[in-house]
Amino acid sequence: MSAPERSSTSTLLDDARTWLLQGRLPVTTAIVLLLATLVVNLVVADNFLTAFNIRSIFANVIPLAAVAVGQTVIVLGRGIDLSLGVIATLSSVVTVSVVETRGLTAALLTGLATGAACGLVNGLLVAVVRLQPIVATFATSFVWSGLALYVLPPGTAAAPRMPDVVVQGYRGAFLGIPNAAWLLALIGASWLVLKRTRLLRHVYAVGGDEHAAFATGVRVGRVQVMTYVVGGTYAAFASFAMLANSGSADALAGGGLTLASIAALVIGGTRLSGGAGGAGGTIIGVLVLQLLTSVLVALRPPTDVRQLIDGLLVILALALAGLWAGRRRGR
Amino acid sequence: MAFLEMRGVDKRYGGVVALDDASLSAERGEVHGLLGANGSGKSSLNKILTGVVAPDRATIEVDGVATRIHRPQDAHHSGIAAVYQELSLIPDLSVAANIVLAFESTRLGFVQRRRDRDRAEALLERFAPAFHGGILPIQAPVGSLSPGEQQIVEIAKAIAREPDILVLDEATASLYSAQVEVVSAVVRELRAAGTLVVFTSHRLGEVYDLCDRATVLRNGAVAGSVALAETSEAELVELMVGSLGAPRRRPAAEREEAKKVQGVSGVPRLEVVDLSTDRLEQVSCRVAQGEVLGLGGLAGQGQSEFLNALFGAVRIRHGSVEVDGQAALTHRPKQAVDAGIALVPGDRNRQGLFPVRPILENLTVPSMRRRARLGVLSDAAERAAASRAGDQLQIKFGALDDGVMTLSGGNQQKVVVGKWLLTDPRVVLLDDPTKGIDVRAKAELYEVIGQLTERGVAVLLNSSDDDELLTLSHRVLVFFEGRIVSVLAGDDLTRERLVADSLQVTT
Repeated sequence: MSAPERSSTSTLLDDARTWLLQGRLPVTTAIVLLLATLVVNLVVADNFLTAFNIRSIFANVIPLAAVAVGQTVIVLGRGIDLSLGVIATLSSVVTVSVVETRGLTAALLTGLATGAACGLVNGLLVAVVRLQPIVATFATSFVWSGLALYVLPPGTAAAPRMPDVVVQGYRGAFLGIPNAAWLLALIGASWLVLKRTRLLRHVYAVGGDEHAAFATGVRVGRVQVMTYVVGGTYAAFASFAMLANSGSADALAGGGLTLASIAALVIGGTRLSGGAGGAGGTIIGVLVLQLLTSVLVALRPPTDVRQLIDGLLVILALALAGLWAGRRRGR
Repeated sequence: MAFLEMRGVDKRYGGVVALDDASLSAERGEVHGLLGANGSGKSSLNKILTGVVAPDRATIEVDGVATRIHRPQDAHHSGIAAVYQELSLIPDLSVAANIVLAFESTRLGFVQRRRDRDRAEALLERFAPAFHGGILPIQAPVGSLSPGEQQIVEIAKAIAREPDILVLDEATASLYSAQVEVVSAVVRELRAAGTLVVFTSHRLGEVYDLCDRATVLRNGAVAGSVALAETSEAELVELMVGSLGAPRRRPAAEREEAKKVQGVSGVPRLEVVDLSTDRLEQVSCRVAQGEVLGLGGLAGQGQSEFLNALFGAVRIRHGSVEVDGQAALTHRPKQAVDAGIALVPGDRNRQGLFPVRPILENLTVPSMRRRARLGVLSDAAERAAASRAGDQLQIKFGALDDGVMTLSGGNQQKVVVGKWLLTDPRVVLLDDPTKGIDVRAKAELYEVIGQLTERGVAVLLNSSDDDELLTLSHRVLVFFEGRIVSVLAGDDLTRERLVADSLQVTT
């Protein structure tokens, strides 16, 4: 029975070809980078495999992972949101401010609504007022930051805290796996669900060719607005992780998440001009960035060159991811 | 009352009348041809029906109901779907996702992928022979298909919307003959099912094969609506050209001069031998000093491609180019400029001008290097050069520092010509230079072409305005699907011959 065998091989080859053409190769690059950073960590950090270290890596990675997945949705639709990290900040101070009076559930819902509302404003500015996404969201980032400082001025005596249940739960484990790792899986699962929606299909279409999508009857403006709303909602989720990780909110934290989220999605193979990529790669990109940081921690360089080395490592990761993708395009 | 009635359709672009009281009337279960020479207004009429172009005035009735079509979405809602040569597919999405785009089967907002795949497959089934190996690439990203296969997907996508009216505007242009047959069979099925298909193709054979009736446009108005079974190709050409207007020929004196021009030169200014690109097949020509060589044929048959290839902006696969006997095969525009070749592009806003920069810089950039000393420019020298070009071409402007977009269309185009004048070109390529500029500016541009030829410059002129082509050119090369099908000169330089050869009709 050689004939069917041959045909099954050829479908396998076809599948592989389709797989490559669909732009999955950059994800392979990201996986290679992830393995490389893992190996480096195992070599340089003797405490890498301790339960405490693994737990804290996952605990630290959740805020960036959530923001980066939200950013991915926006970038896929040919947008970008430079205020996403600050939206997480604003959402966290709002949440923590109402948690003592209204209770946990109401607080979380308020936080989510805050993130979604900020996203809505960004989306309307981009799709309806037609401002350039970079400029519009750069401007709103100051608005969100100002609001956060207004809601929770730094240095407030007796700053509100999250209930201890939340903080302990975040550091805890279930079935021997850190709860934060479960949360990362949840973020991944949420992407898989989102990816099957009509909205995400249209996001890919708008990012791929805005004019063709419009001429086909896709409501381009509405799709763009929705990407920012989804992004803002993910930022709110990030804010919960930030709160759970530290127990309290800081109106000055969170800004650094924005650019890291963009670096993560580029490492993960999402095209910055939209239409190709996905959050699976982004999550790997987030882990790569986190492991680079932990290499740095293990090496204990003098503090005055630490930031320099951190920056160089990120450039190296971006270049490796970009090189491979570039060669594929020149095929 | 017919199923589709378009009446009193007017459309002007600036000062140019594209449609003047045009009309179209067609029934269900009919394949209706829409024909016309360049500039007849057929593509404007097509695009008004599909909402891509907004008319100045029009009455459109579908099935007796007055319909306003201002955007593509309006056309969708009225049951009109369109396929053009330019595709509206998303390269990274799969074939199935493209076909069902914007009307996916969903449940609670989730795409039902299997159902969509089945729908796409059922639809593509009848196109199967048109795909490589007869296998339907349902899950493959559209970007991985060949151009012809993508065109088939585009047609399937339009049919998937189950339109009452399907507009096919040069939708078969990129297809092989076997693929055209597959599409023809599907079109016949649609006709039998009661769909109205409005069909435009540069291949008259396809029109005769598929269409029952045809509306012929001339100068933006209807020249006739005919039953094709009773109309010969020659009669169609006559309708397109018009028998009323006197045959347009160059004045005798000019024709004499044309002969002189061709006689003078020993070495041609420009000689092209067997030039081939992805869309050109073995194009050869010689152009003498001071000669205007026209590139004719229906729009998009390779004329622009030829000019861009000479300018190094399109990859050349094979062939040789010589300017004044010296090899000038170029791979980059920079090399073309060094060889004395200048291109005035069709899309002047994107390729010809720096829209946000002043007139001064727009005029001087290509020739700056000649005036720079150690890389430093003298403001006075730059201004002197720009003024020289401005005077020569009689460009009307307030100050050299004004933004170039403050000029009228005609003067903008003169700036594009002027910047090359300062490089002392030997060959000037004009790619539809008078598109969208008014009559006076046109006349002035014609004078500029005259000045160029007096200096011995060889001019290659592509124009979608057949009259302009016939008036200005000493000879005209007629293009069809990337090849030169005839060379018109002397007494053959008539509108009838040009239109007949453009359509490959032997009269």
